Amino acid sequence: MKITDSFTRIRLIAGTTFLEAVRQKFFNSLLLISIALVGSSTFFQQFDFGTGELKFITDFGFGALFFFGSILSITATTQLFFNEMENRTALTMLAKPVYKLEFLAGKFLGAHLLLLCFTLVITLVLSGILYWREMALLERLGNELILNGSLIRYGDVFLFGFLQWMKFGILAAFTLFVASFSNTNLYTIVVSFFMLVICQLQYIARDAYTSMEAGWERILVLGLGLIFPNFQLFNIGDQLVFDVEKAPAVSTVLQITGYGAIYVVAFILLAQVNFRRREI
Amino acid sequence: MSTPAIRIQNLTKDFAVGMRGMKLRAVDDLCLEVGDNEIFGLLGPNGSGKSTTIKIILGLLEASTGTCEIYGRPSKLVDARRSVGFLPEAPYFYRYLTGRELVRYYARICMVPRVEIDAAVDSVIKLVGMTEAANRRVGTYSKGMLQRIGLAQSLVHDPQLVILDEPTAGVDPLGSAAIAEIVRELKRRGKTILLSSHLLAQIEGLCDRVAILHRGKLVREGRVDDLVEEKDAESLVVQGLSAEGRAAVEAEIKAQGGRLARVEKPRLSLDAYFLKEVHEREIEHATQQEGGEES
Repeated sequence: MKITDSFTRIRLIAGTTFLEAVRQKFFNSLLLISIALVGSSTFFQQFDFGTGELKFITDFGFGALFFFGSILSITATTQLFFNEMENRTALTMLAKPVYKLEFLAGKFLGAHLLLLCFTLVITLVLSGILYWREMALLERLGNELILNGSLIRYGDVFLFGFLQWMKFGILAAFTLFVASFSNTNLYTIVVSFFMLVICQLQYIARDAYTSMEAGWERILVLGLGLIFPNFQLFNIGDQLVFDVEKAPAVSTVLQITGYGAIYVVAFILLAQVNFRRREI
Repeated sequence: MSTPAIRIQNLTKDFAVGMRGMKLRAVDDLCLEVGDNEIFGLLGPNGSGKSTTIKIILGLLEASTGTCEIYGRPSKLVDARRSVGFLPEAPYFYRYLTGRELVRYYARICMVPRVEIDAAVDSVIKLVGMTEAANRRVGTYSKGMLQRIGLAQSLVHDPQLVILDEPTAGVDPLGSAAIAEIVRELKRRGKTILLSSHLLAQIEGLCDRVAILHRGKLVREGRVDDLVEEKDAESLVVQGLSAEGRAAVEAEIKAQGGRLARVEKPRLSLDAYFLKEVHEREIEHATQQEGGEES
């Protein structure tokens, strides 16, 4: 097996998966709703002055990105996987000299590419709204609010978007793992949403671990903390965009990215173990 | 002796059913060999194990026990599939691609060298008679056209073994005849073809050998002529015989120690009759059009 051939096949499968995905009405509807929501965020608040408004818009935008991005990660990955199984295009594909791991990796990358588009569009819209409101505020209140040339660090808005995209990647990989042994869309979606809630609240287990005495309960909590990724690590939007003094170092961002990548690879490999035994 | 295209030995496949560990046996101790450059028919009613056998040959399922080899290599190896082309039953393809793009896509998946792709795609599209419709989207294709473009994608990497699962299911007699002709052409090009079907009339004139499966077991295997011919009887097809002549023939048969088993009118199969009629109308239509253009 030539590794370059393998990458070519993964790229080709990812390409068709992505094309299938962007043609789905669900994706386009969700994208339009998200854009409309982020675009209208400024009308959702009663602002007083200055950075309060920008903070609200940022939180609102980041919230919308997380909420709709999570829904998209789970539903799009599920739909893309089960479409292949139900339409039996997977049968045609896997009857070729294609490894099941290549097929799964291609499916994941196609879905992740879709999520990249979604994240990029929402981040662009959010940045546009922020810039518009920032200019309006500066015109009204003068330049005394400006720190380091701008109220908002726009580069970090995109960095936050990138970290959310990594989080969506973990969610998509987990969804693929569940789909690899599940027989229905609904089961896959429900289990994946439970996983999302657990990962969002996983920090509670970590806190409990630090306050526990040595024993099997501590080991259990540690195990749970390792099995489920901690999604709170990715929620550093405030530090990135507003807090100049507490802005995380590049190494921290890289560590978070690496942390996400490890879970993505682990879930895809686990999916492959199930998929090998699955009847197609 | 050359390596058989497919060698299946004592193949059994059980599926787990329900939560109590119950097992459903889909294929039961199957032994089969398909020779190189042979058209082999895998026949049987629905649920007889044809598709399961094909999936095991393609490495999509693992056998519970037994072995399956393609040209001497275990079929579960991905590399063994380089020499295999497969057309699934009722194929579904990405509807937004054109026929040409679809075949090209699978050519790239099969790692056909870039410099050869265009020629390979054109060649198989021509072989399956889809040149005119190749630039149309797959979503606009009829059932017969889908089967033909499906055949093209299965052949684009020039496999030695071609597996066709119910290739004529849901296709009209004209489409079936076209597919049968492509299969014959593949044999002339030295390919081995394994096809499964429960439409026996379409298979009869096509296969060199057939195997009949029932409830996962091999019931019969052999050359079509050997299986269906009545070995102790011969038929004479006679034209223009009077009643007296016929009585004389019957008397002579009796005198020679034979017995006239039955007298019947030779019949065309309905398939053959339909194709003959359509073909004649097509010729008439073409002649009329030519006449119209000249005048």
